[in-house]
Amino acid sequence: MRWFGFGFNAFGQIYDHDKLSKSEKIGTDEDVKVSSPLELTTGTDCCSKSVRIKASWSRRASLHLGGESCLCLAGFGAVTSTESSGALIKHSRGCTDVYISESYLTLAFPDRVEAWDLQKEEKTPSWSEEIRSQSETSGPPLSLPLVSGGYIAMKPPLYRSLSPHLKAKSLALSAAHAILLTASGAVFTWGLGSHGQLGHGGLTSEEEPRVVEALWGMSMTSVAAGGWHSVCISDGGDLYVWGWNESGQLGLPSRGLRKALQQQESEAGASYQHTGKTTADEQQEGEKNEEVFISIQAFPALLDVTPSCEVKTVSCGSRHTAAVTTSGNLYTWGWGDYGQLGHKNLVSSDEPLCVEFFKEKQMCVVDVVCGAWNTFAAVVKKEVKIKS
Amino acid sequence: MAALWTKISAVLPPSEEQFPLQFSDKVESSVVEMLRRSRQQLYVHTTKNSQILNAQIILDFSWEKLNMGTWRDVDKEWRRVYSYGCLFKAAALCQEDPSAEEILLAVKTCDMGLLMGAAIMEDILQVIVRILQGEVRKSAKEEKEREYPQVKRSKFEPPRVPVIKEEQAVPRIRCPSLESFNTNYLLPLRPVILEGIIDHWPALNQRPWSIEYLRSVAGCRTVPVEVGSRYTDEEWSQTLLTVNEYIDRYIEHKDGGKAVGYLAQHQLFDQIPELKEDIRLPDYCCLGEGEEDNITVNAWFGPGGTVSPLHQDPQQNFLAQVVGSKYIRLYSPEDSDKLYPHQSQLLHNTSQVEVENPDMDRFPKFAATPYLDCVLKPGEVLFIPVKHWHYVRSLELSFSVSFWWS
Repeated sequence: MRWFGFGFNAFGQIYDHDKLSKSEKIGTDEDVKVSSPLELTTGTDCCSKSVRIKASWSRRASLHLGGESCLCLAGFGAVTSTESSGALIKHSRGCTDVYISESYLTLAFPDRVEAWDLQKEEKTPSWSEEIRSQSETSGPPLSLPLVSGGYIAMKPPLYRSLSPHLKAKSLALSAAHAILLTASGAVFTWGLGSHGQLGHGGLTSEEEPRVVEALWGMSMTSVAAGGWHSVCISDGGDLYVWGWNESGQLGLPSRGLRKALQQQESEAGASYQHTGKTTADEQQEGEKNEEVFISIQAFPALLDVTPSCEVKTVSCGSRHTAAVTTSGNLYTWGWGDYGQLGHKNLVSSDEPLCVEFFKEKQMCVVDVVCGAWNTFAAVVKKEVKIKS
Repeated sequence: MAALWTKISAVLPPSEEQFPLQFSDKVESSVVEMLRRSRQQLYVHTTKNSQILNAQIILDFSWEKLNMGTWRDVDKEWRRVYSYGCLFKAAALCQEDPSAEEILLAVKTCDMGLLMGAAIMEDILQVIVRILQGEVRKSAKEEKEREYPQVKRSKFEPPRVPVIKEEQAVPRIRCPSLESFNTNYLLPLRPVILEGIIDHWPALNQRPWSIEYLRSVAGCRTVPVEVGSRYTDEEWSQTLLTVNEYIDRYIEHKDGGKAVGYLAQHQLFDQIPELKEDIRLPDYCCLGEGEEDNITVNAWFGPGGTVSPLHQDPQQNFLAQVVGSKYIRLYSPEDSDKLYPHQSQLLHNTSQVEVENPDMDRFPKFAATPYLDCVLKPGEVLFIPVKHWHYVRSLELSFSVSFWWS
């Protein structure tokens, strides 16, 4: 399995651009915005080929599994060694799962969970808990940010409890809302509801987990949370989206996006060409378009990513979405200013677009993980189909 | 225009070390690192594009924070970070012989900081935008004759001016003493039109407000505009435009559009101190218990036909009419139950009734509810007592200033 990354790279979380000194090199466009997928150099000294990735706005965590597992951090604050795979976190030996936010790094070990404050150089974790033996807990092992009896939040108090009745299977967190999948495939949401991101039909916030009734009766297999949007995949491989569509992150027609694209053109015109139409003219043109725009989708909506195949994996950045299909293609949509859509440009899109790079290279995408403004995709070589 | 950068850098701290970047630990160290990089770029030579790129990262990140939760809940630190982003971007735009368009973009960038950010470095965005405006005005003067030909008066139906019946007309009084205003109107909370109390405003004398005047003082400045007939409508939205764009589109209808746009309830006078020089706080505000600093001064500028639906505000209000006239109707707070306020928390201060075209079946008690009304003319000030319901429709091009006080 090989990993590729694209999008926001101001801290070198995709690739470390400075063989030169930092102050000289920072800030050139290509270094900060990686618009075409780039292979990550995951250090080969770390035992295994099985790597899991998690990313925050400024960092990427690569978890090397198998044998003596360990974690490497790339991006902000990573003291780069000679290896460009990022800095090895010493206290991570033996960890089996990782979760990273802008402020905290959470590590799960077979016998304990630790949350480390990334802002401070501390010798001990900010929070830790022993894990009771498997026989005491029912169900399959939990994946972060879920922990026994609750979950680890992005800011203090780090540990928040969850009702055992929920039978949580997985949990996706954004900065202000949460979406939880139960063992039976039901979806619960809570937190900020200002942009319809909870999917209950309104814009009110919820203190406690509340079931998304519109999805009732359909079993879901996976959930993901963006800054102001939510997505989930059904058993049948259908993708449901809801929340804010400001940058087209729902894959539905976005007026905000169309206006922003026009404005970018006119600003680019203003700065570099000294010509061009005024924004007023262009907005008029846009308004003539009779398309129905969606700004806020307060109930789950079915999104046809591709006409022919199912969605296997999905992940959200703060304002973009990435989905892998069962046929091994990666589709991205939403905010593209930092190259996070991987279409070799910096253009946002309010419709799902296939990342051609992997297709061209005969690569089959098997997994995708978004950071806030970037995207990481795992690929294997495409199997050659033999025609019968 | 290399002189411009000389002027801008003169108001920036002389060195990187003297440029403050202090934030609470709400602001993650990765963000502070971006701010430091931008600061360094201001003093160590780097390309303009690279500086704009870094500033934009700061703006994009803090924009996300500003939109996380309701405005009240947003930590002020993120509004400060946003202002720094605006400062770095505006400064970058002004370097290396900026084009006229880049200067306008820098003005807009400063305005975004003034509208959405919090004051930083002794309100440096305000200082910079003044320098930039001076520059814009210089180049505007050269083009003036060609730029603004006489505008064709578009064909509009004459405004529906309602007949004001004498028995329900808002009473009028000329320059009452503080004492008499207090006793007869403020304490009993009775509406009244005060005549002759703003005759000394420069806005009505030395610098009479007009479209040309607004263009010259504030044309390139970005302001919030309400688009849609009334804020209770489904289609209603808010947008940001420059004053020139607003006038072109919604006052002079240069593009032939018919949409109603209203520069409403905006603290324009804090954003553009020059306009503040043209108005004065009414003396009667001193009868309130609040500090003078707590008086909220809002601008209301729009074409004929703008409507503020029947609503109430939590403070006393002096509504001063400077340009054009407005039809205003007032209902007592005692009759609130007959005005059918919206149920939702957001609109519970607003009536569901379309005042000049009420649905009698849905709102049967409305028709018989007593009211006062008036046509407010330039130079007149309407006292709207706290919680008094008011409905406002402009009859022609109108500029009003409201003072909310307690």
